[in-house]
Amino acid sequence: MVASAATPSVFGNGSSTGLDRLEVGARASVESVSGERSVRRRLLEMGLCQGVEVELLRRAPFGDPIELRVRGYLLSLRADQARLVTVAPKR
Amino acid sequence: MPAPSCHDAGESRTAQASSRPVKTVALVGNPNCGKTTIFNALTGLRQKVGNYPGITVDKREGTFRLDDGRALDVLDLPGTYSLVSSSPDEQVVAQVLRGERADTAAPDAILAVVDASNLARNLYLVSQLIDIGRPLVVALNMTDVAERQGKIVSASALSRVLGCPVVPLVGHKRKGVEGLGKALLEAKAPQRIEYPIDERLAEEECRLAPRIAAIAQIDPEKARPLVRRLLADEPSSDLETFRSDAALSALLDESRARLESLGLDPMQADIEARYRWIDEVTAEVIQTDGTPRRTLTERADSVLMHPVWGLFFFAAIMGALFVSIFWLAAPLMDATEGIVTVLAERVGEAMSPGPLRDLLVDGVLAGVGAVVVFVPQIALLFLLLGVLEDSGYLARAAFLMDRVLSRVGLHGKSFIPLLSSFACAIPGVLATRTIESRRDRLATILVAPFMSCSARLPVYALLIGFCFAGYGALTQGLVLLGLYLLGIVGAASISWLLKRRVLPPEKTPFILELPTYKVPQASQVLLQTWTGTRAFLTRAGTTIFALSVVLWALLYYPRLPETAALLTEEAQNAAQIEYSFAGRLGHLLEPVIAPLGFDWKMGIGLVAAFAAREVFVSTLGIVYSVGGAEEDATQLLQAMQADVRGDGSVVWTPLVAISLMVWFVFAMQCISTMAVVRRETGSWRWPLLQLGMMNALAYTACLLIYQLGSRLFAGGS
Repeated sequence: MVASAATPSVFGNGSSTGLDRLEVGARASVESVSGERSVRRRLLEMGLCQGVEVELLRRAPFGDPIELRVRGYLLSLRADQARLVTVAPKR
Repeated sequence: MPAPSCHDAGESRTAQASSRPVKTVALVGNPNCGKTTIFNALTGLRQKVGNYPGITVDKREGTFRLDDGRALDVLDLPGTYSLVSSSPDEQVVAQVLRGERADTAAPDAILAVVDASNLARNLYLVSQLIDIGRPLVVALNMTDVAERQGKIVSASALSRVLGCPVVPLVGHKRKGVEGLGKALLEAKAPQRIEYPIDERLAEEECRLAPRIAAIAQIDPEKARPLVRRLLADEPSSDLETFRSDAALSALLDESRARLESLGLDPMQADIEARYRWIDEVTAEVIQTDGTPRRTLTERADSVLMHPVWGLFFFAAIMGALFVSIFWLAAPLMDATEGIVTVLAERVGEAMSPGPLRDLLVDGVLAGVGAVVVFVPQIALLFLLLGVLEDSGYLARAAFLMDRVLSRVGLHGKSFIPLLSSFACAIPGVLATRTIESRRDRLATILVAPFMSCSARLPVYALLIGFCFAGYGALTQGLVLLGLYLLGIVGAASISWLLKRRVLPPEKTPFILELPTYKVPQASQVLLQTWTGTRAFLTRAGTTIFALSVVLWALLYYPRLPETAALLTEEAQNAAQIEYSFAGRLGHLLEPVIAPLGFDWKMGIGLVAAFAAREVFVSTLGIVYSVGGAEEDATQLLQAMQADVRGDGSVVWTPLVAISLMVWFVFAMQCISTMAVVRRETGSWRWPLLQLGMMNALAYTACLLIYQLGSRLFAGGS
């Protein structure tokens, strides 16, 4: 797996992490989306709003990009963008 | 729950009900929502594809004939996730709908296509379409897919909350299409939806509304949506007048700063407010049977997207694609060639000798032949790509390949266009249209011609046959593989460089939706095959044809004086070609190409290769006065081996042949590809960059190989 340089969120309960760091099969709830304005806008528009549940379905061979289920559809993001989405993993 | 009004000034939100009769309809929807299928179902083959002037976005229009004989003009807009654009395609959608484009009249009504199996995200665009304020009808598509997922979407409930007609459809079965016509004719603009929003943001909006209203000369209450879009710093072109107002910009900046200090971002607040509304809507209109089930797509993906098995199936599918476009197409290509040859013979026999006959046979018919010979392969390629795309696999292929390709500055979606380019760069360039990001698309287009196309094969075959005559088929095969790999290495290095140095930085994020798998529809795939093949014939075919005729003239004129009568017809032809413009051009080129090991005869071949690379072989055949070089190269190879310069040195050394092979791997010699690249990129800048870049690389590589090689060999012997 390719490790990424995601910086942990300063908000949240300490278990927050970048979406790219989620384990395969894990579910999480979106806390915030950072990054350049146009990128952030598009990520939000794709439904990655605060509080929405995401599930990491799989990683591509060589670890990148990743595939998510969000709002009932399948979305793929590169780790570069997934890292901009801070999530709180669910048990 | 409406947002608090600024002045409590009663409800002034009457819908802008235009009593104008509906004549034109714009088709809008998310990518993968089945919009194209509905467009085809509505218009049949009564459609035309053009271009929006100045940008390279397809403009597809058609006519929808209603049962009562009336007709609606339908404009199929590019698929988009949002009206706030991040690409030229998406920008067109918003501009057309707002009536901002001089080349396209604003539509009388909007038909929003919505994927019932992915309702939430599709409704986001609908929420923006309601804001446009034009008559709206929602086509609820893919209800069958939703039902298979255990979800029943109530069209009547959805119609109630959206305030517009909702017509359930199964696009590929044409079920429900008739109902659309009636709904469109009677469509009204739905009422705006007031999304509950943080009151501190509402306060700022109220503060700014009068100012905006004054500039736009509208009612302050109606200015609220504009204020929110301005506060959200939306880059849309219809807001330009407001952005250019310096005083207003200052006020907006102050407001944004105040909101930011409160931890509020108007853009995020607006998007999240819409999604909160969407969550309420979906909860109301979707009935689930409660049993979570593993869908067909999930089961297929567990194999096709598996880290190991996924790659295995990917290799198998791509291998099958590759083999089919060569082996399956070969008999068809031979047959086509045969027909043209027979036709040329007949015409040749029927006419009396002279320039007119030669023009018809060697110019016009040879030109037609050069075009149609590729048609079976290209049609087959478009057919197979259509199947892959329609099934939903194309996006998976992009997912699997993205990591490798992004390393060299390309995109997962570059894989298929590059693979197609092994047949011919032209369908490859056309296939880049699936890449949304302009930068990734340009990079892919620019390196596509490095893939060794099928027109280069006869040249490789001749040169390998010459250079490695004594070696077995295995060695010869490995050399051929080496040439293909060399092209790939060239493409990878150049795209890596382009991404770093030449291409403008990218603003669109990598977002790849993995659509639900479905059985490809014959009608859809065949239509796509037809459109692609027609694009090849009109965009490349005309260039190839014209060039073939020009090339014929260059080889034919000026005529050799009658006095020089030679023994055989072949010798006569060889003398004629040296005397012709092309021959003179070859001599003229010789000083330039001599450092690469090429003489004037090869120069003629290189000039001729600009029409189509494989012409190099037949031209050499004429130069060496051997007939039928394309079918049997033995005579030509003997002639090449026997050729010596005035000083007795051998013209065709193995080193020369290798240098020539490398030239054909790297050099841009295909004017028809350049013509297509110009069309697809909208400027001559990119094909010219391609020409300069590739030929500089080819020249440098051949120079190094020949100069170093000849020194090494000279030192060794």
